Amino acid sequence: MVQAAVQNSVKPGKWINSTCKMCLHSCSIRVHVTDDGVVNKVEGNPTNPSNESGICPKGNSAIMRLYDPQRIKTPLKRTNPKKGPGIDPGWKAISWEEAMDIVCTELKKTLDEDPRKLLPAINDFHKLYLWAWPAAFGGNANYFSVVGTLCGGGYHPMNGFIHSSFAAANDTNYCNYWINNGGCDGFSSHLHVAGAARHMANARVDRGMHLVTVEPRLSSSAAKSDEWIPIRPATDRHFALGLCHVLVNEKLCDYDFLKNDTNAVYLVGPDGYFVRSKEGNEPYVWDSVDNMAKTWNDETIKDYALEGSYEVEGVTCKPAFQLFKDTVDSCTPEEMEKITTVPASTTRRIAREFAKAASIGSTVTIDGRTLPLRPAAYNYYRGAQGHKTGSMSNHTYKLVNFLIGGIDTPGGHVGCTLDDAKIDNSHVFEGEGGMILPTPHQLGVAPPFAYPPNTAHLMDYFPIGVNPGHLIAETFFNPEKWGYDFTPDTMLIAHSNPLWNMNGPQDKYFEMVRQMRFVVAIDILLNESTEWADVVLPAHDNFERWNMTMIEPPLTEGQCLTQPVIEPLYDSRSEEDIFNEISERLGILDIWNEIQNQVNQFAGDPELELKPGIKYGEREIAERKAKLWDGKSLEYYMEHGHTSTMRRPDKWYRPWEGKRLHFYIEMIVAERDKLRKNMEEAKVPFIDEWEWEDYQPLPTAVLDPVHLEPEEFDLLAISFKDVQLNFGENLSIPWISDIVYNDPVHMGVLINPKTAADRSIEDGDLVTITSSYGSIKGLAKVTEGIHVDAIAVSNALTRWTGYHAIVKAGGGNFNRLLPANLKNTDANSGQMECTAKVKVKLFRKKPVDRNEAERMLRLHAFSK
Amino acid sequence: MTIWGMVMDLKRCIGCNACSVACMQENTTPRGIRWTETVSEEIGVYPNATRSYVPLICNHCEDPPCERVCPTKATFITEDGIVLVDDEKCIGCGACITACPYKNRYKLKPQPFKAGLYSKGELTPFEDQGYRRFVLGTTVKCTFCHNRVEQGLDPACVVTCPAKARIFGDLDDPNSEPRKLIQARKGYQPRAELNTKPKVFYVD
Repeated sequence: MVQAAVQNSVKPGKWINSTCKMCLHSCSIRVHVTDDGVVNKVEGNPTNPSNESGICPKGNSAIMRLYDPQRIKTPLKRTNPKKGPGIDPGWKAISWEEAMDIVCTELKKTLDEDPRKLLPAINDFHKLYLWAWPAAFGGNANYFSVVGTLCGGGYHPMNGFIHSSFAAANDTNYCNYWINNGGCDGFSSHLHVAGAARHMANARVDRGMHLVTVEPRLSSSAAKSDEWIPIRPATDRHFALGLCHVLVNEKLCDYDFLKNDTNAVYLVGPDGYFVRSKEGNEPYVWDSVDNMAKTWNDETIKDYALEGSYEVEGVTCKPAFQLFKDTVDSCTPEEMEKITTVPASTTRRIAREFAKAASIGSTVTIDGRTLPLRPAAYNYYRGAQGHKTGSMSNHTYKLVNFLIGGIDTPGGHVGCTLDDAKIDNSHVFEGEGGMILPTPHQLGVAPPFAYPPNTAHLMDYFPIGVNPGHLIAETFFNPEKWGYDFTPDTMLIAHSNPLWNMNGPQDKYFEMVRQMRFVVAIDILLNESTEWADVVLPAHDNFERWNMTMIEPPLTEGQCLTQPVIEPLYDSRSEEDIFNEISERLGILDIWNEIQNQVNQFAGDPELELKPGIKYGEREIAERKAKLWDGKSLEYYMEHGHTSTMRRPDKWYRPWEGKRLHFYIEMIVAERDKLRKNMEEAKVPFIDEWEWEDYQPLPTAVLDPVHLEPEEFDLLAISFKDVQLNFGENLSIPWISDIVYNDPVHMGVLINPKTAADRSIEDGDLVTITSSYGSIKGLAKVTEGIHVDAIAVSNALTRWTGYHAIVKAGGGNFNRLLPANLKNTDANSGQMECTAKVKVKLFRKKPVDRNEAERMLRLHAFSK
Repeated sequence: MTIWGMVMDLKRCIGCNACSVACMQENTTPRGIRWTETVSEEIGVYPNATRSYVPLICNHCEDPPCERVCPTKATFITEDGIVLVDDEKCIGCGACITACPYKNRYKLKPQPFKAGLYSKGELTPFEDQGYRRFVLGTTVKCTFCHNRVEQGLDPACVVTCPAKARIFGDLDDPNSEPRKLIQARKGYQPRAELNTKPKVFYVD
């Protein structure tokens, strides 16, 4: 007879509601713990309207993270001073007392000498407040990582300018025509995959939503689309400009929206600033009926000019819309085809389909509020936005949505907040001149300008940007050029893998770490970076810790609780406890509490505020965040797991009603001029190297410099992830590793059959991929699912740690094919170029079998 | 009379393999054995290329060859249509593995149990509590999560699917979700010509 109850989920035990942490986001889960205290099943929590009972393969694998035999079990001290990939650190288990003594002594030395000498890489997305800890360390604003910049350098500030939000998503509730460009929302990645996939499937299958995917690779989004439009890498902005050309020139725009809800009608002078009234400094518009300039708030305005050139008080000026039209007029689909390879007829057809689906003029009533219904939306992410022209690229995709009136409206492209903190918090504020306040600093205020620089990565020069951590590759070995009066010598890596993520000269980053006086790492598993630490401190796994978070959910709002389901398996501590003890011993606890009060919005509330002298643990922080949201107790969350509800229409749709959006971003011009003035006054020697052309209030059609690399590099290489992967870090889990390495897209470098044949390359051959900046190796995977001018390298092929039983080494990290210099960085947003211009050559004919292939890849993981 | 079946909605499936991992999680299957998985195939020629994602699982056939060839009657069909293996009767001859045209049956070998999921020769607590159900040398397969179904729950793969691409229910009830789907979207059986009468259907 078959035994009863052999399946894990129905064995005697209890279910605990919590939050998944197998990616950046926060799907709700329920976790089964047997009566014997073993965690043996994880499922989605059906009460969360985002993911309901579903979770993705990563979430399903979480138990194997908890029980990974190679988890760090005690604090470790390095005994082998030699550092390098594959070099045995000679770990010795030590007590917390000894570990903290060493760590605090070293950090105190750095703090006393010069706090700027610390290079932090603190990247736990679920605990964003920890990222602010360096500010307590003597105001340190360094960032030795490019987490957040690779995917979101241009992205986040632009969302701040346009929606006053951190992220953006197409409105699954009403959209009927969805374009995915360089990002696979609803399929494999970006926001809350399990929830997004559910609602995407519902929209496609139940509502018949039409889906178009524009990207170089046949991703899962492309495979499920009604149409895949292959595009040459790093030309997406040109495709979008082509769409805009059609929308503008065939008069397929939402003119009411542009005239009444945006600053597209504001008159711009030759200096790039709005032409303003002497009294009140209000921007002018041109009344096209009365044929005269009036301030934007003049009640006698009869109609607005969107086009034309006018004279106002002696200044020649044009409405912002006209400036954009001037640019897109020459971006004909035919011209854009030369750059993108997307046929002109396709661009025209897509633009017309898009505009038709947008149903300009139609409305829908939601909760008694009548709103413009525009069920056509252009979504985009990492692949489309990760370029030197980051800001302009992001802006262009927004403008496609602007033109058909689809910003923040039912069916359209909507700003998605990160963490509202309080249920009634609005994320939109009133700015001047009738516009919303632009809020590019979505991750916190940038450090002030300084010369000599106070940050190792020149963040003092990115007033509206996101940390360009990779610029340390320019500054560290060349301090005189940049005027540095300090040299970093300490590293703190918490929940991060900078040596893996940083783009650019990998050997230089290795050398930087070797030159550190002291490196401390805080994590649950060792990785490519933390292998180099002098002391390692074990943190709790997600099933062992407390947290409260809301992380840019596209469908819902509300806080999600993480609670321990078992006692910690090992001698680990919470990250909060670790930072609290370090802070107390360094004498910076009070400052740290103050900073937490600011970033968590506890300040001013006596019940929530962290008081001086007290160390607040993770549970206490979680409890406060719970109370802050809507007053509910931690006990409520312990029972229910979350307070997620579908996004409130009053906050989701047009929260800026009555104010104007930034079609034209004057702030970019103003910040450019402020920065230039600061640099002139301080006599900054590299002022002429600064990429001033990057500060554009409207996008241009300039080519990204990657296209101007030497001709010998004749292909464009991209990297990608898929739904099974979170940065590739979860390849240490056998369940994930096994499904990934049986999927052809992760088994080699993707290359088109014609492209391969032209280079005498066959499926399975070992090839070298070289750019101006570096070289990697890979096994060729010939596929029809990739553009002829592109090759694609999965994140699954980029790891190299040799110590872990499961992680497979690839032939080198894709990111070292990329530059890490000013020329290929957006001076405006900090965004680095993520596409590499490469040449691909046969290195060795097909290895005999998989094992030999892997051996060869390991061998060449670090060759030049 | 309840007769359990499943529909795979190929329009919804995104090939993520959450189902594979959920099943491995639910059943503590040893490394190398997957009772369900989603396979992918390229179709067409660039630029008119696409990819299919097809979830595969034991079809719990109504006339299964595995049951016919089993010498000890270890393989049997429950009243509600679930094909199971009684591992006290199974002698591990492997005839059913050969007979299954869908290749959905697997022999339990010692090595994965010894090595453990992490290939370290030690078992995690999860594996320790989960491997006890298995008898080495016997044949195992998808059980339509009969432990869960007995309690009115859906199978683990169905519950976890982010895109809701797996629909489980009573094929004998014309108003059940699977039946309605088969009717509305012209559901078809995999390799129906083999006449094993699979109870897993596909809709495009």
